[in-house]
Amino acid sequence: MDVELFSGRSILTMVHGIVLGGGALVGIAVALFGMVALRPADGAEPSAGPQARNLAWLLIATAVVLWLTVIAGTYVSFPPYRATPPEGLTDLSDFPRSLIQSNPDTRWLHSFAMEIKEHMPWIAAMLVTAAAFITARYRTQLFGDASLRRAAAVLLAISLALVAGVSLLGVFINKVAPLD
Amino acid sequence: MTMPNPASVSGLPNGPALAACLAAGIGAFAMGFVIILNEIGLFSAPTLYAPAGGVSGRTTLAVVAWLIAWGVLHAKWKNRAIVPRRVMTWTFVLIALGVLLSFPPVWGLFG
Repeated sequence: MDVELFSGRSILTMVHGIVLGGGALVGIAVALFGMVALRPADGAEPSAGPQARNLAWLLIATAVVLWLTVIAGTYVSFPPYRATPPEGLTDLSDFPRSLIQSNPDTRWLHSFAMEIKEHMPWIAAMLVTAAAFITARYRTQLFGDASLRRAAAVLLAISLALVAGVSLLGVFINKVAPLD
Repeated sequence: MTMPNPASVSGLPNGPALAACLAAGIGAFAMGFVIILNEIGLFSAPTLYAPAGGVSGRTTLAVVAWLIAWGVLHAKWKNRAIVPRRVMTWTFVLIALGVLLSFPPVWGLFG
């Protein structure tokens, strides 16, 4: 007997949420840690060498992965989530939005969680792109210029909070109404 | 806010960095603004991809606003050294407003 472990839709959801979204979340966290950990001690010569270059490449890759996450989320995972079931259908398991909205206890997962997931990640993608631009263009002076480093770090910290929150909401939605 | 002589600053002038930050703030605010206009029924962004619905138009509009703002600010500040405090304050205010306006419980406050 053939058993389908994962459907095509669930694989696409995992690529969106775990591979791309998880990759972006890790990338932002590591870049933020690097930004703080690599700052020069008082009086020390700031680093303009391989650490700064590696940080710049990490953030460029993270920005690309985050953009892929939001684009895949909006144009690949979201359409089957919001598909309208045929009239009279009682088994809504293939229609996650309708399934969530059919139960008063889970309705918030659409009206709150998914509404946040539709838009907030796009804001995070813009912020990470700005941080990547600063880190790449100013890699020779980033660790010697506290105001530049602080600006990039704060943008990353905000992005980390947004992406982490949105990821958690995605887990909740997928738990109740997975795209199988 | 701006100092026209970048030669007084060591390394690259910081104008392009601050242009990127402020543009990101404008993009974030644009996202929230488009959402709230949609929620109160004043303006609905056109749907660009029917299976995804209105979110395709709203997010595209915000991204276009972000890119235009970045292009204009970059062209204006590319050779300038700028005092960062005021620009960054505006950046964070715009980001905060954008995030706030994208938060569903806030939509009810606008009717």
